[in-house]
Amino acid sequence: MPVHDLGYRSWEGRRTPRILRPLFVAQSGVSLVWRRRWLRTMLMLAWLPIILPAFGIFAFEYSATEPGMRQVVVQVLSGPFQRPDLAQQAISDPALVRHEVWTMLILTFFRYPQLSAMVLLVGLIAPMLVSYDLRSKAYLLYFSRPLSPSEYILGKAAVVWFFLGMIVTIPALLLYVIGILLSPDLSVIGETWDIPLRILGASVVLLVPTTAVAMCYSSSTSESRYASFAWFATWILGFVAYQFLTFMNVQRPPRRRRGGPDWQELNVDFDRYRLLSPYHTLGKVEAWVFGLDPTEGSVWPAMCLLLIIAVAGFWIVRRRIIARLSV
Amino acid sequence: MTKSYKEVAALSDVSLRVEPGVTGLLGPNGSGKSTLIKSLLGLVQTQQGSGSVLGMEWPQRVREIRDQVGYLPEDDCYIAGLNGIESVAFMAHLAGLPGTEGLRRAHEICDFCDIGEERYRPVESYSTGMRQKLKFAQALVHDPPFLILDEPTTGLDPDQRESMLRRIRTLYRTHGKSILLSTHILPDVRSVCDQVIMLVGGEVRIIDTLENLSRPAEPTVQIAIYGDSAPLMQRLQNDGFSVIEESDGSLRVAGIDTDQIPELWQKAAETGTSVRRLTPAMNSLDEIFFHAASETELR
Repeated sequence: MPVHDLGYRSWEGRRTPRILRPLFVAQSGVSLVWRRRWLRTMLMLAWLPIILPAFGIFAFEYSATEPGMRQVVVQVLSGPFQRPDLAQQAISDPALVRHEVWTMLILTFFRYPQLSAMVLLVGLIAPMLVSYDLRSKAYLLYFSRPLSPSEYILGKAAVVWFFLGMIVTIPALLLYVIGILLSPDLSVIGETWDIPLRILGASVVLLVPTTAVAMCYSSSTSESRYASFAWFATWILGFVAYQFLTFMNVQRPPRRRRGGPDWQELNVDFDRYRLLSPYHTLGKVEAWVFGLDPTEGSVWPAMCLLLIIAVAGFWIVRRRIIARLSV
Repeated sequence: MTKSYKEVAALSDVSLRVEPGVTGLLGPNGSGKSTLIKSLLGLVQTQQGSGSVLGMEWPQRVREIRDQVGYLPEDDCYIAGLNGIESVAFMAHLAGLPGTEGLRRAHEICDFCDIGEERYRPVESYSTGMRQKLKFAQALVHDPPFLILDEPTTGLDPDQRESMLRRIRTLYRTHGKSILLSTHILPDVRSVCDQVIMLVGGEVRIIDTLENLSRPAEPTVQIAIYGDSAPLMQRLQNDGFSVIEESDGSLRVAGIDTDQIPELWQKAAETGTSVRRLTPAMNSLDEIFFHAASETELR
């Protein structure tokens, strides 16, 4: 017996509230994922794209005083963003378009580099979250403590949210802070106060359904590689199918039945293949959250789809866990 | 409680009362032991049932019950990626022990469970015996008053098994814990249990103290003999005693009162039999187990 072994001793102390128990699940998950060096490297790399929108905000704020910068802003707004109207306004009264330019830059950051980073990151983290527990039967340990399946799912989902928040929400909020710091005075806060809320809203749109899908795949198998495969396949096939069908649709002349309703007037979403692609569906809703939805048609089908996916995804995870416990 | 999986009844109207102490839960494979345990913890939903565990209504307050129960599952289960001490500390945190205190307590319990430097190794690399010790530590880390141990000695070598049983005895005798020990290993039950519950085919076949179960229906003695036992056996049978020769050559004499023992010595002397040992006979747990199981099969 080691000299420090005092035998069994009772423990008397104050226990933490039960509501905090999912936090321990999340904490343990984050600490396990954080040990992987590739992940730390990836997180750092995922921050690199922030340079472009940060430079965009910098250029916009200095365009009022620096003619060279003004030229850059006009070129960028007219070129890649295809908003010559905004470019004109930026020259005449930059304060008037500040809100739109900032949200456009932040949305672009959300939409392109961070969405791709999100797909990669979730595809590498989430599949192992539940499948490892199924393989090692760890759920017996979790649920021998006062933890419900819903709290377990919440704890596991929080792991994904933590890392996604690190590469999406925090950099976007940082961009906003950079904008405030570079702006001429603090009255800009009054003009742009809603942007942080929109960032949080867009983050929720991005995080919740994607986590639900990833965890759903993870809970469907005890082999995490199958879950990873299913995750990446969903994104790639959805994207390719959307591009292909949209291209085919453009090639074909529009057909209209005689005497039928004019769908254009009824504001129906003609981009009917969008719902096939998670990338484009998320993009539609995110753009709507930022108030910059350029596409025609209602956002509701996309929103409803994301909501259904989120609810169904978490429901399936819960069912899978309860089914495992019953064996 | 009643629990069935589709057409198969796992627990049929099971009703039992577990007294404080160490209770052995016995039964052949598929008798419903694990289902009973999982039902008590709320891991499995029963179709019907009510009761109380440690004074808390079951199944209404099952999560509060889990807070007061330490469970060692039969299955080989672990949290992948963690090392031993992290696993125990994590279970402490899940049970509500705050951060540093949970880690301190985890070290204390690892010492008690004889998990030495191995506590810093990933649990995936543990042997079966080490995993059993780890699961025991995880069940115990939050100092529950009631422990449910499902096959705790499976996969342990004789030394480790003896140590595990010693720990179970310590927890009951010195620290007043109540323990429900589900096992196939009958010597373990004999070694540590006060009470026995035997489940067969999803029904409670036996529920009694080990002392009562071991006591034969009528006073019986066991006589171990040097040499040939036939003359004494013949003599006792002639005098109207019920005598059975056991497989080890000893004689089991039923229906004999304490005041007849000198008479027994006398008969041994008269037949020239050397008696090595004369003890009150106990019912064997194996016999009770096989009898209960075969009774159900006959039904």
